[in-house]
Amino acid sequence: MNNIALGRYIPLNTFTHKLDPRFKILGMLILMVSVFFPSGFIGYGVIAAFVFIALLFTKISLKMILKSMKPMIFMLSFLFVINSLVIRTGYVLFNIYGFTLYSDAVFQTLYIMVRLTLMIIITTLLTVSTKPMDLTLGIEDLLSPFKRIGLPSHEIAMMISIALRFIPTLIDETNRIMKAQASRGVDLKEGSFKEKIMAILSLIVPLFVSSFQRAEELADAMEARGYVVAQHRTRYKQLKPTYRDTVMMGGVLSLLGVIIWLSL
Amino acid sequence: MPIAFEKVNFKYAPNTPFAYEALKNIDLAFEMGKVTAIIGPTGSGKSTLVQHLNALLLPSEGTVLVLDRTITNKHKPKELKSLRQRVGLVFQFPEYQLFEETILKDIMFGPLNFKVPEAQAKVLAMNALKLVGLDESFAEKSPLDISGGQKRRVAIAGILAINPDVLVLDEPTAGLDPQGSKAMMELFLRLNKENGKTILIVTHDMEHVINYCDNVVVMKDGEVINHQRVTDYFERKTQVEDIQMNLPQLLMFKEALLDGGFEFKQPMRYLEDLAEAISKEIKR
Repeated sequence: MNNIALGRYIPLNTFTHKLDPRFKILGMLILMVSVFFPSGFIGYGVIAAFVFIALLFTKISLKMILKSMKPMIFMLSFLFVINSLVIRTGYVLFNIYGFTLYSDAVFQTLYIMVRLTLMIIITTLLTVSTKPMDLTLGIEDLLSPFKRIGLPSHEIAMMISIALRFIPTLIDETNRIMKAQASRGVDLKEGSFKEKIMAILSLIVPLFVSSFQRAEELADAMEARGYVVAQHRTRYKQLKPTYRDTVMMGGVLSLLGVIIWLSL
Repeated sequence: MPIAFEKVNFKYAPNTPFAYEALKNIDLAFEMGKVTAIIGPTGSGKSTLVQHLNALLLPSEGTVLVLDRTITNKHKPKELKSLRQRVGLVFQFPEYQLFEETILKDIMFGPLNFKVPEAQAKVLAMNALKLVGLDESFAEKSPLDISGGQKRRVAIAGILAINPDVLVLDEPTAGLDPQGSKAMMELFLRLNKENGKTILIVTHDMEHVINYCDNVVVMKDGEVINHQRVTDYFERKTQVEDIQMNLPQLLMFKEALLDGGFEFKQPMRYLEDLAEAISKEIKR
């Protein structure tokens, strides 16, 4: 369950935390776009430097990020094997028993590794520094221009925020049921195949039952407070951009400029 | 064979920004063969404490002795099943743990996990069903089709069928109707008196504490601030008020009578004690 800690909101009071969520999402999107420009390793160096500064501004330790990327090692090594078998361009690095490793295989894998790492850090930066509720407010605002073509932006934001809201609840619930069943002798690690199936069943069935119950109760509670779908509603929390957003957007846009110039 | 905590600390989510110290330096020994109540305000660490008793949580520091097992943080305890068979833990709102097709199968789930033969598990399950006051007609029903109170009984039967020596209950009567909760508490008392089981109950209900329990452990902010016999505990009114709880009705009535000029010397626990004392006073 500890892996879920990756990207979980950490309540701090930093520069990044104080940014307007709308601009934070936009900034993240621009950073992502710049990661996908073929700007070579120099370009990635520039982006990495930028991201590293952003990490400093958010007061996240690099150690935490590295720890959360451990599961990627398996995927990357798998990718490296595939690449080294398939890619036959570039110069030959070495040749053992008829197997040739080409330089492009190594470079391609490195490329993907750098891209993935940057993407993960960028998204983590956003989710770590933004409350889920603010995030959905931002998404709602950013989607609102599409209302004209019939996109239910508020409903989408509401669905996202409810889903996000219930993730910790479901984790708690899962832990609780696991413990309750452990008290009844369930052992997920030991036992025969049939026993393991039963163990998983004893976890999933109660989880489903309580999720449906919760959903129904939530719907009732929302209706009782007068929630009507597609009704116009005002908002308690008003988003206001500050000078920080200008600074951040300025930084991100000039980074994009540099990247485009490098990839020309 | 004791159940004891020695200098136990417990931290949730250690080494993260979310770290929270739920138990602080707990030194505690429960009396075997008795009914002990664990009381205290919400968030005082009661549920965390009881989860140490069958090693669902391991102490961050210190030692927990449960029966013949020693549980510490140092080496991961192996083979916890035998411990969990002897220490039955009923969680808060246990009705959520039901999952089988029939009530009988659900109650048999525990014993079967502990390798009790099927035929014997069935006998144990039927007995447990009877103990919690449900008749045989329930055995083949689905555990999802019955009322909330009945679900609670089935869930508790699921632990009773395992036949543990120590029964730990986390707020077993929360949300039950008064009659149902009285029947429940009487069942636990009977299990204690007739079968000699050690019973630990986390509760908020002072009426249950005075009527059914022998000892009381009081927790506050992750610490044990009191551990006494129930009769001694209620002797001093301020002790109860310290944790923002009310005295049991009987003792409130006694207080009111004292204020009104009655004079009682002897300690009181049950309604009969009070009635006797009042009649003595009136005759005098």
